[in-house]
Amino acid sequence: MQTTSKSPSDLFTRATTSRLDSKCPTGPMAERWDKHRFELKLVNPANKRKFHALVVGSGLAGASAAASLAELGYQVSVFSIHDSPRRAHSIAAQGGINAAKNYPNDGDSVRRLFYDTVKGGDFRARESNVHRLAQVSNAIIDQCVAQGVPFAREYGGLLDNRSFGGAQVSRTFYARGQTGQQLLLGAYQSLMRQVGLGKVTLHARHEMLDLVVVDGVARGIVTRDVVSGEIESHAGDAVLLCTGGYGNVFYLSTNAKKSNVTAAWRAHKRGALFANPCFTQIHPTCIPVSGSHQSKLTLMSESLRNDGRVWVPAKKGDSRSADQIPESERDYYLERRYPSFGNLVPRDIASRAAKQMVDDGRGVGGNGMSVFLDFRDAIQREGADKIRERYGNLFQMYERITADDPYRIPMRIYPAVHYTMGGLWVDYNLESTVPGLFVLGEANFSDHGANRLGASALMQGLADGYFVIPYTIGAHFAGRKLPKVSTDHEAFREAEAAVRARVGKLLATDGRRTVDQFHRQLGLVMWDHCGMGRNESGLLAALDKIRGLREEFHADVRVLGENESVNMSLENAGRVADYFELAELMVIDALHRRESCGGHFREEYQTEEGEARRDDENFCYVAAWEHAASGSGSGGAPRWSLHSEPLTFEEVKLTQRSYK
Amino acid sequence: MSAGHDDHGSGGLDLTLHIWRQESSEAQGRFETYPLHDVSPDMSFLEMLDVLNEQLVREGREPVEFDHDCREGICGSCGVMINGQAHGPDRETATCQLHMRRFKSGETIFIEPFRARAFPVLRDLVVDRSAFDRIMSKGGFVSVNTGAARDANSILIPKENADLAMDAAACIGCGACVAACPNAAAMLFVGAKISHLGLLPQGRPERSRRVLAMVAQMDAEGFGNCGNIYECEAACPKAISVENIARLNRDYLIASATERPPTASGGGA
Amino acid sequence: MMSRCQVFLRSSIGKKLLMALTGLFLIGFLVAHLAGNLTLFVDADGGAMAVYAQKLADLGPLLWIAEVGLFVLFVVHLGLGMRAAMENREARPARYKDTAPKGGRSPASVTMIATGVVILLFLIVHLIDFRLVDGLFAHPEPATLAKVVVERLSSPLGAAIYFFGMVALGVHLWHAFQSALQTLGLRHPAYDKSIKCVGAVLAVGVAGLFAAFPVLCLIYKGDWPWS
Repeated sequence: MQTTSKSPSDLFTRATTSRLDSKCPTGPMAERWDKHRFELKLVNPANKRKFHALVVGSGLAGASAAASLAELGYQVSVFSIHDSPRRAHSIAAQGGINAAKNYPNDGDSVRRLFYDTVKGGDFRARESNVHRLAQVSNAIIDQCVAQGVPFAREYGGLLDNRSFGGAQVSRTFYARGQTGQQLLLGAYQSLMRQVGLGKVTLHARHEMLDLVVVDGVARGIVTRDVVSGEIESHAGDAVLLCTGGYGNVFYLSTNAKKSNVTAAWRAHKRGALFANPCFTQIHPTCIPVSGSHQSKLTLMSESLRNDGRVWVPAKKGDSRSADQIPESERDYYLERRYPSFGNLVPRDIASRAAKQMVDDGRGVGGNGMSVFLDFRDAIQREGADKIRERYGNLFQMYERITADDPYRIPMRIYPAVHYTMGGLWVDYNLESTVPGLFVLGEANFSDHGANRLGASALMQGLADGYFVIPYTIGAHFAGRKLPKVSTDHEAFREAEAAVRARVGKLLATDGRRTVDQFHRQLGLVMWDHCGMGRNESGLLAALDKIRGLREEFHADVRVLGENESVNMSLENAGRVADYFELAELMVIDALHRRESCGGHFREEYQTEEGEARRDDENFCYVAAWEHAASGSGSGGAPRWSLHSEPLTFEEVKLTQRSYK
Repeated sequence: MSAGHDDHGSGGLDLTLHIWRQESSEAQGRFETYPLHDVSPDMSFLEMLDVLNEQLVREGREPVEFDHDCREGICGSCGVMINGQAHGPDRETATCQLHMRRFKSGETIFIEPFRARAFPVLRDLVVDRSAFDRIMSKGGFVSVNTGAARDANSILIPKENADLAMDAAACIGCGACVAACPNAAAMLFVGAKISHLGLLPQGRPERSRRVLAMVAQMDAEGFGNCGNIYECEAACPKAISVENIARLNRDYLIASATERPPTASGGGA
Repeated sequence: MMSRCQVFLRSSIGKKLLMALTGLFLIGFLVAHLAGNLTLFVDADGGAMAVYAQKLADLGPLLWIAEVGLFVLFVVHLGLGMRAAMENREARPARYKDTAPKGGRSPASVTMIATGVVILLFLIVHLIDFRLVDGLFAHPEPATLAKVVVERLSSPLGAAIYFFGMVALGVHLWHAFQSALQTLGLRHPAYDKSIKCVGAVLAVGVAGLFAAFPVLCLIYKGDWPWS
């Protein structure tokens, strides 16, 4: 065990000069993007094929960016850890995608979508970015429909919209409960078209294990072929990280098993600043943990809260089955505490309330780690058939996993880690602090602030890939001198050697514990201390535990097999090693942010009613962390220094969110 | 994390697993037998394999490699033959959604990779399904560049067609259709994409080119011929209908008869 | 550069389409053949069948053309079936230890090759019995045809061969008709049931009526109680 860190402020240094230039345009908000696009340098069409972009990740952001760049004439290589680009985890998004089309004529507009997103993010996102997101949202829907995405339609043949996540307008487009799948297939198909045309080279089953920076510019990556184990260098003129979020640091999350932070983390250690790592989203309606074997958590669409009522027994430790508990002894706590929004309060609030009930000893299920989501009243009111029509596939999925029939027994739900708002810091051009390294989609920090609204992750991934990067990457290609770099360059050889050394060390450790054992332990620490509720002493304790576990990991992990073959425990070990470092930064970020905002709830900073208390005076900024190459973290010099990017709100007035 | 809810009986399952082990594509494979005790009925099938792997690693034996990712039946990564059935005994269920309560204590389970010449085994239960990607790259798309789209509501699509297209588009590309087909044919996969795009006005302009190119690639990959046995539909975790295969056949016949020959002025493929 | 026709015929779907078409023509032939054969039961002395056979013989060169056409249809159907079977084996070089159906297959659909082979063997016997008695280039004598048929089918061995041959045909047809329509792309939820129904009626009707020949011959030796 390490010596306990004395004070949170000893854990990091503050950068004296901030390296952050957001490059946000000025002038009227609605004209900023147009103005910026006009000012961006263009690449001569004849020169486009001379530039080579390396796209890492093939989800919504990666596939859309790769296809769009190839269409423009750039050379593109795509790297995916999956056997096919179509497997990327964007595929699992259920609910829908927002756009300010205002087709239902209910008063939506670009400005309202912008406003809702800034407010929903609890005022920790950049106004200029969010406004651009709202502006391009409509073009995304047009693009996807043109690709053949089968969005839900009305009998007249027009697109159908629904209201989602408590929004007061119906702006969500959806394809049954498989919107993410259909959007990803649209982007994937566009990508495969370019592969067929020879414009994109696809490297499936390749994992990026390092970023190569030459003369201060990102010029390549080092990958491992996860079938042959070959460590390969790839040189290019720009690197696009589209590698998703880091929710799996908690071990249990709704993320897919292969979702990981490694590519982003490697880039961080090569100089890209990591912003707001502690901003994680806990989704309120997930199927609870059933046992120690649990490998991941399954989300039940948020739309269930439109008809289901959330409750727990009023009495502590009430072990009666749901039907034995009379109405008077039930506590519909969301309806009680938030009479105007009731069961439809935003995700962060619903999640926290569930945790409070469980902490209070009123949780249900065998281990008391869940709350009821009850459809009894809706079924009585509208009939089981109506409910089946709306949620049939969700009910079926629930029954398949739990063996309980939700038509008869209330569902049991509990919050689970779902999305990470934090990520690599990027400017308005989506460029990180390493020139030539662009970060798109969930992997960047940009548009959701401290809390993401439902149906806006898909929007952001596609906005970045289809409608932002194709313009902003031109400024990099046209504006910087990019002398030819080959993979023989010293920087590539150094990075390759570093990767080989890391892989070799993991295989050589020959310890006693499995990778998953460590990952589970780390996840538990993070969930307990850096999850839905956080406080200083818990976070400090977590820091010690993480550091201790990390040392044990490097001394006692057991990875069998060899590098030169399919070896998923080896892949996993590398990822978990990076999670240990990320976890430490998350905790430091959570410690330093002495306020509650969005998904970050510091128990010391709450109102008398137990609601989050934001501190706009001291924390209205983006916290971007620079990794110090020499810092040791434990005892010695801090490993990170803090750069802050102040946030200004010109259009949306800073207010406290209220859902009472 | 204490053990979870115990509403489903206390008894764990004792199982005998026969799992296909194969070091590489070139290596000779074989079944190995692993007893596994006290398996919770609440586990998913893949979690059961996780538990086995943890046990193997602790014993110093290399874990069983299998593809998996989302574990909620949508990414299409997972898929093994369980007692001779693609994705196991349940209908409309991917391997990751299959739960151990479906099995009885004392049962013997044979686990094999999806087998087809077009799906070479990479290791153990991991197979290479990139043939599907190559088929897609030949025509499984609408040729529309980013930015060229008109307003989404300017294309009217009858709800019925949109629903049918969605039914077909629900394919997760897992390859169970090929695995379950006695002939290792890929017609359901290809038929689903032909239907999805062919049913929508956006996909109509390329309908003929698409079906000719995709079928040519499908054949080049070495899949078998469709015998209309329909085992693919039964094994499909998304219950994609074989009606899509009929649509593929029809489109192929019409396209073969009517597609204009390519000309120097770019009239064809 | 392959011609359009070559491309089509080399493709998996093209081959299947041709197989379906030849199969449907062969079903048409079976129905006609059955109709003609039923003349056997009209009278005990074989007069009706003699008239029918004579009419066929009177067609002269047309009958030859029809026979050659039928032979070609059959050879194409058989050849494509064999080729598909071989390709299908190659498509899965490593077999499963065991497979268990999940509900798609029927006993008929998975035994098409086996029933096809049985039908081929049956056909060879059948041709030797009735078509080649007087050599390849001569058609059998119409006047005595009924007698030859009854003689052949009333022996227990003959009856057994013909009966089981027809069982194989029935099983083959059970899958064949709807499969051919599926391959031709003629399918719609509104007609799925009807197509299945027609297929079943064809399979049971054609094979059942054909199978009645050996059964009735074995029992009555040509001395029909109704005539």
